[in-house]
Amino acid sequence: MSDIHHPGRRSVLAAGVASAAALGGSWLLTGCSGAEAAPVLPAAAAKGAPDRGGTLRIARPPASDAETLDPASSLSAYEYLGALYNRLVRVAANGELAPDLAESWETDAKARTWTFRLRKGVAFHNGRAFTSADAAYTLRHILDKATASPQAAVLAPLIDPEKLGTPDAHTLVVPLKSPNAEFPSLLTHYNCYVIPDGSAKSIGRTGIGTGPFKLESFAPAGPGRVTAYKDHFAGRPVLDAIAFYSVADMSARSNALLAGQVDLLSQTNLDFATARVVAASDRATIARVKNAQWYVLPMLTTEKPFTDVRVRQAMKLAYDPEHVVKVALQGAGTPGWDNPVPPNYPAYISAHPKHDPEKAKYLLKQAGHEGLAMDLYTSSYDPLFTPMALAYQDSAKRAGIRIKVKTASADSYYTQIWMKKPLMATYWFTGRPVDQLFTQIFRSGSSYNETAWSDKQFDAVLDKARAEIDDTKRRELYGEAQTLVIERGGAMTPMFADRLVGISRKVRGYAEHGFEFDYLNIGLKGA
Amino acid sequence: MLSFITRRIAAAFGTLFLSSILVFLAVQALPGDVATQILGKDATPDAVAALRKQLKLDRPAWERYWDWVWGALHGDFGTSLVSGKAVGGEVSMYLGNSALIAIVTVLFAVTGSIVLGILAGLYRDRWPDHVISTVSLVGMSVPEFVVATVLVLCFSVALPWFPAVVLYGPDASVSQLLPAVWLPALALAVVMAAYIVRMARTSVIDVMATEYVTTARLKGLSTWRVVTRHALPSALLPTLHVIALNVAWLVGGVAVVENVFNYPGIGKLMLSSVQNRDLPTIQAIALISAVVYVVCNLAADLATMALNPRLRTRGRTR
Repeated sequence: MSDIHHPGRRSVLAAGVASAAALGGSWLLTGCSGAEAAPVLPAAAAKGAPDRGGTLRIARPPASDAETLDPASSLSAYEYLGALYNRLVRVAANGELAPDLAESWETDAKARTWTFRLRKGVAFHNGRAFTSADAAYTLRHILDKATASPQAAVLAPLIDPEKLGTPDAHTLVVPLKSPNAEFPSLLTHYNCYVIPDGSAKSIGRTGIGTGPFKLESFAPAGPGRVTAYKDHFAGRPVLDAIAFYSVADMSARSNALLAGQVDLLSQTNLDFATARVVAASDRATIARVKNAQWYVLPMLTTEKPFTDVRVRQAMKLAYDPEHVVKVALQGAGTPGWDNPVPPNYPAYISAHPKHDPEKAKYLLKQAGHEGLAMDLYTSSYDPLFTPMALAYQDSAKRAGIRIKVKTASADSYYTQIWMKKPLMATYWFTGRPVDQLFTQIFRSGSSYNETAWSDKQFDAVLDKARAEIDDTKRRELYGEAQTLVIERGGAMTPMFADRLVGISRKVRGYAEHGFEFDYLNIGLKGA
Repeated sequence: MLSFITRRIAAAFGTLFLSSILVFLAVQALPGDVATQILGKDATPDAVAALRKQLKLDRPAWERYWDWVWGALHGDFGTSLVSGKAVGGEVSMYLGNSALIAIVTVLFAVTGSIVLGILAGLYRDRWPDHVISTVSLVGMSVPEFVVATVLVLCFSVALPWFPAVVLYGPDASVSQLLPAVWLPALALAVVMAAYIVRMARTSVIDVMATEYVTTARLKGLSTWRVVTRHALPSALLPTLHVIALNVAWLVGGVAVVENVFNYPGIGKLMLSSVQNRDLPTIQAIALISAVVYVVCNLAADLATMALNPRLRTRGRTR
């Protein structure tokens, strides 16, 4: 759960109360401008260099009262991880891999053994040198059943923890059980931050890593503080310190920003009404993370009528993603055309069938489901679920599909509705590499496969892509995989939405994409 | 009178016993259990089953109920399924923070609203009454979170006098929490005061129409003296009950307001416990709320009786 629903999951707390409060608040604040007014939101935060030093105050939604600093855990305090730790590899803004603790990596001709050359002269916050033993230990810690790491399910089929090789202090050799040309991309996940050898028992409290900040204090679901680590290999961060505060309620978080008590709202996608208020304030403004999350209406392919591929196709042809973007996102996003791969990724293909309600009608008639009527479940878990559902309902009417939008309780939405009801609304963070995206969410039998879609041809294309070390050919195979998802899969992907992040007008150098946050260059101006 | 008190206390215990059963059943009826909630989406059926066993959720409900009640009677509310700490200690820490708000709220609400209620009653159907009645009606109708949000906008955002949210954890000291207490207390007082104002106004009007007040006036006493000596004590009697009920309401109503201010009190603990399906904590809070309710009611009844001679005698002759 932590994997996907990072922003929303933590702000669920009394979502009813929260959204009601937000509604009350924004209604009071926006007055009579009404919901149909176009968002007057700045496209980007203030430019320019920050001053050196200062303390950035971040309000974050707590994961749970059982939070930990162990990056491998499903209950890790997400915002601390990137400040305290480094991974072997990270994701650059264009979706390509970039070096972090590993300077370079290569594979053999069959993509079966991967060798990582590790950065030299890196020290953990306690002064101990970082070596390949720490990298190997981190992988074994993730794979350890006692850790119960969400990323174990992804790595366990590939890695035998006993066979990890450390020929010298700065080389890590990972033999794979099956070929995988995209293996390094799996290590970009935020569960894969590198921890010191033998630290499994204490890491949840000590937070000792190689990252740009070291831990000063931490309380689960409470306040905490990290200070600049001057010996960081990429240089000292701009800030002197970051203070983290946990504020569970979304409207309380934005009030703290408006009152000048904090400088940045982490993992908070502001609704449009609140965003307008924040943008109009003297103290705060809005930064956008382009295409930060992709929204899905999953059709459970094991439930009638979605067992019939013609019905799934009809559901997709019936609606117009451009209409959904216009209505639900007020234009702040990109139409998805049922392709979950973000448009800025190198592997992205732009081909897709056009919106065609007549053909949808014809397909439904053929499948014996003329005038199909369905319940579509949403909740206040995310502010865009219901607008998206209503926009779909409206758009699909022309194909004779009657959708009834039902609102379920937000705090049990992901245990009671997700993967249980045949049609519902959900979303994911973009920022996972393309192989991980397909393997986790679309491959037969994967635990995150929310449409329960099982397609032998699709799985075969994925296997072929993984074994293909030629980049161009592999890209073509991922294109093929996208075509299969669009044409046969159970997931409707109406839109990619920009995330609206509330930040203080003093913040400079804010940069975030996917699960990457730039802790080094963010700073304050005139604080 | 003694038998009345005994019966009243026995009834209170009966109510508590019944509420313990209801609390337990209600908590069982929450959709989704703690095992799935803790493990989240990544849960395998094996992991869920193991955790359920570890948390003793696989035993029959009546067994778990009995263990819980037996423990609670001995002051042991079990350990939190989420944080692993003793529920009793956790709850009392948060309860202490909420008590701070409650005390300020009651002081604001009771003194303010009794004065306003008496004024409205004395100036019945004249402009002070119209103003006070209208404002209190609005206060009564507007939900707490709207009042709270308006207060934040006025006194934290526009005029930065008070903090908009509390950034400290539950272990914050009183001096750390004190600046953040006023706005939540004021928000609660506005909603709570409305009822007391209405009640006090009605009582004053009733009392001022009685014969003994007329007699006192005819004796030539000043209005002020009539009000403080004769009218006020009688007018306060029915108001007492409303105040008691409102204090009990505070325990629940505070949840919404604490959420708006991120105040580390019992209401916020309740919301996060419900979200995490932390059964022992939810049960402890619900039971404590029930105790507060029952005790407030009992205290109001007994105080009313102590102050009202007619009720006292009726109790004796029966």
